[in-house]
Amino acid sequence: MDKQLELLQGTLDMLILKAASLGPLHGYGILLRIQQISKDRLEIQQGSLYPALYRLEHQGWITSEWGESENKRKAKYYQLTTAGKRRLLTETENWNRMAEVIAGILGTKPEEV
Amino acid sequence: MRLGSQFQSWMRAVMGRARMESDMDAELRFHMETYADDLQRQGVAHEEALRRARIEFGGVERAKEECREARGISFLETLLQDLHYGMRALAKSPGFTAIAVLTLALGIGANTAIFNVVNATLLQPLPIREGSRLVVIWISNLEHGWSRIGPAGQDYLDWKEQCKSFDDLFMFEHGTGTVTAPGEPEQVAGLRVTTNFGDFFGIKPVVGRTFRLEEGAGRHNYAVLGYGYWQRKFAGDPSVLGRGMTLNGEEYTIIGVLPPDFAALFPADLVVPFDTDWIKGADSDLGVFGRLKPASMLKEASGEMSVIAGRIANARPSRKGLGVVLVPLEDARLEYLRPALLVLLGAVGFVLLISCANVGNLMLARSIARQREISIRMALGAGRLRLIRQFLTESTILALLGGGVGALLALWSTHFLAILVPSRIPVPNAADKVTLPGIHMTGKAFAFTVVVSLLTGIIFGLVPALQSLHCNVNETLKEGGRGFVSSLRGNRTRSTLVIVESALAFVLVLGAGLMIKSFWHLLQANPGFRPDHLLTLRIKLPADAKDSQYREPRNQADTFRRFLTSVEAVPGIQAAAFTQIVPLSQDEMDMGYFLVKENPPVAPGEHLAADYRDITPNYFATMGIPLIKGRIFSAQDDLDHPRVVVIDETLARRFFPNEDPIGKHLQVPDATRPAREIVGIVGGVRDTGFDQQPRPTIYFPSLQSPNQTMSLVVRTSLPPGAILPTIKSAIWSVDKNQPVFDVKSMDEIISGNVSAQRLAFLLLGIFAFLALALAAIGIWRHFLPGERANA
Repeated sequence: MDKQLELLQGTLDMLILKAASLGPLHGYGILLRIQQISKDRLEIQQGSLYPALYRLEHQGWITSEWGESENKRKAKYYQLTTAGKRRLLTETENWNRMAEVIAGILGTKPEEV
Repeated sequence: MRLGSQFQSWMRAVMGRARMESDMDAELRFHMETYADDLQRQGVAHEEALRRARIEFGGVERAKEECREARGISFLETLLQDLHYGMRALAKSPGFTAIAVLTLALGIGANTAIFNVVNATLLQPLPIREGSRLVVIWISNLEHGWSRIGPAGQDYLDWKEQCKSFDDLFMFEHGTGTVTAPGEPEQVAGLRVTTNFGDFFGIKPVVGRTFRLEEGAGRHNYAVLGYGYWQRKFAGDPSVLGRGMTLNGEEYTIIGVLPPDFAALFPADLVVPFDTDWIKGADSDLGVFGRLKPASMLKEASGEMSVIAGRIANARPSRKGLGVVLVPLEDARLEYLRPALLVLLGAVGFVLLISCANVGNLMLARSIARQREISIRMALGAGRLRLIRQFLTESTILALLGGGVGALLALWSTHFLAILVPSRIPVPNAADKVTLPGIHMTGKAFAFTVVVSLLTGIIFGLVPALQSLHCNVNETLKEGGRGFVSSLRGNRTRSTLVIVESALAFVLVLGAGLMIKSFWHLLQANPGFRPDHLLTLRIKLPADAKDSQYREPRNQADTFRRFLTSVEAVPGIQAAAFTQIVPLSQDEMDMGYFLVKENPPVAPGEHLAADYRDITPNYFATMGIPLIKGRIFSAQDDLDHPRVVVIDETLARRFFPNEDPIGKHLQVPDATRPAREIVGIVGGVRDTGFDQQPRPTIYFPSLQSPNQTMSLVVRTSLPPGAILPTIKSAIWSVDKNQPVFDVKSMDEIISGNVSAQRLAFLLLGIFAFLALALAAIGIWRHFLPGERANA
């Protein structure tokens, strides 16, 4: 297994939105999904997940609802709102542009300057 | 229950918070347990799995705290925080808080009290069916300059027969009656009405009934009680129905009780029907209301009434030259009142503004002193909006506290105002009086206080809040914590404020000083008589009763003479006399025209006018009015001797500038009466008000012009409470059925007379003092060495 990458500041929200966009999930489920998609290459502090969820909910990008989990426990499920879907799109776009710019800068060779 | 629902909403907020907490706990627990389950499935032992789940999760409490922060604090929580913080800040400076609350309390209290009066008089609808369609019908005599006189009984009958614009006409007459049984003899406010009374106003009696239409024919001795009188006299006993009472010496049967709010229109103790024969003979001074048909407008009705007036003038030549005036009842009720009340409301509004400005200045000075604290809070990330909110919360707490104290002040001063504002306003040139409803604190007034308080809080809280946030956080902190106190801009703001405040305070102090001076002059003014140790009361002889001995004027004069003899014998009484009108009492005026027999006739259209006063001989001595020339009346100046008058010096100066009035004769308008010789001149009396000049007055000996109602004035060194019972029994020893009423000492009359000035003087004085104190505080703070050090 590769060494886990530490999460860049501000990216957790984006990942949560992406994970929740694939269908309603509880907090633990979101954590598992991010780890599964990233093939365990990202290190996420479990405790930091919940403040992020509360913040996104407060901003109106996700909603929550109590339901029953696979193991027959009471769990809180999160789901993207319309505003959240829009937010995810712009965030993705911004991220791609930013990554492109950064990659471009970092990929510059001395003779190109 | 309002308190209950408030409690519930508070509980919901608290419960909501508790629920949020338990939800959060459940969610985090679910996470750890599910993770532990997963670990167990991978072969980790149960205990160990739980332990690892907890460790890997990280600090639970820290996560929770971050969650709480992340979901945002609710409006209510912020409010609670702000309130808590505001209270603490206010409690830290009790002096500031006390001054601010008191200043606001005075402003808000005065406003609420005045609002009460305005609410009671201008905003309350009349307690009657479709009051907006009721019209007062007066007669006018433009030739004599009378715009509104009460019509005669025959006018009413003619109108009722001929006029089509009205659904119905109603006639009434105000008066007083003497009730001799049951209980002590007493004078009551009476109302005589046509028998459509109940239907005309849509009255629903509390018990019993009003009159039946057919009871308008002939004479029916039925009485309907006013609610207040029923409570007072019969303790609200419903079994009064069918009982008898003696009114003006006649037996009446009680048939019903009026609803309480009806007193707002007519504050009558007793309502009795007209005697139809009497109506035909009543020559004037009646009150007539019309109920407009839904389809007819006031203008059409006026037109129709004019046509009818012409027809009436043809049939009855005595009505020639008379017009008809129609005024909506609601307008008539308020027209003498609205301007005065609105001016009063404006004045107290100004007072509130001053107190707002004062408190605003205080708040500003305080916010300057708190600049460092504000800068630190901003540096720590407090939003500007949040700080403005904090300021507003603080000033709103102040305003609400002020409003609370103000409401108490208003409660206390409302009865004071109720005395100031008369309950009945006489309508000039009419026999009718406009009635004002009773004034008391209502829910509306409390709502008004709350609204005014909140607005006040926002107004005086916003300016300093915005001002104080103009500062630059870095600058402030760099400047060693002095804040913008040390910046040029801040100093200018404060200097301007202190100058403005001082100027305002000086204006107020000057105003108050002038007021004090004129009030002092007012109290020093010589009223023309010695006002100390005088007691007055009124007696009305029951002359209206059919078989009353008082229908003979000689008997009236004789009875008053017997009352006087009996009262004069009471020990402790130095002097006593009867007068038709007590000076300064603001009773109805009695004014009339006269001619001087020996002088050339005056030009047509011009009139010599004077106040008429009927008195007993001892009046001048009792009141301490000095005789200047000639003689006063004696017991011989009765109906069997030549008619004489005494005039006051004002009349002598004005109408006999260069001659001696003694021996001249005055001719009063009724030319059939003999001219009256002037036998004496007495000092002038400020009859109409302390701040008014004496008016020309003619005194008539009451033995030569008997009255049904007279006021007794008594000079006594004993306190009024001690002497009153003996005076009453002296009167009752002559006639045990004779009520006395309107008992007042001259001191009471005078204090009522100057109470408006006293109130204005007091209020302005208090505010001037407060403004001065506040300005002084402002100046003191401005020159405080510590705050000026870096300037």
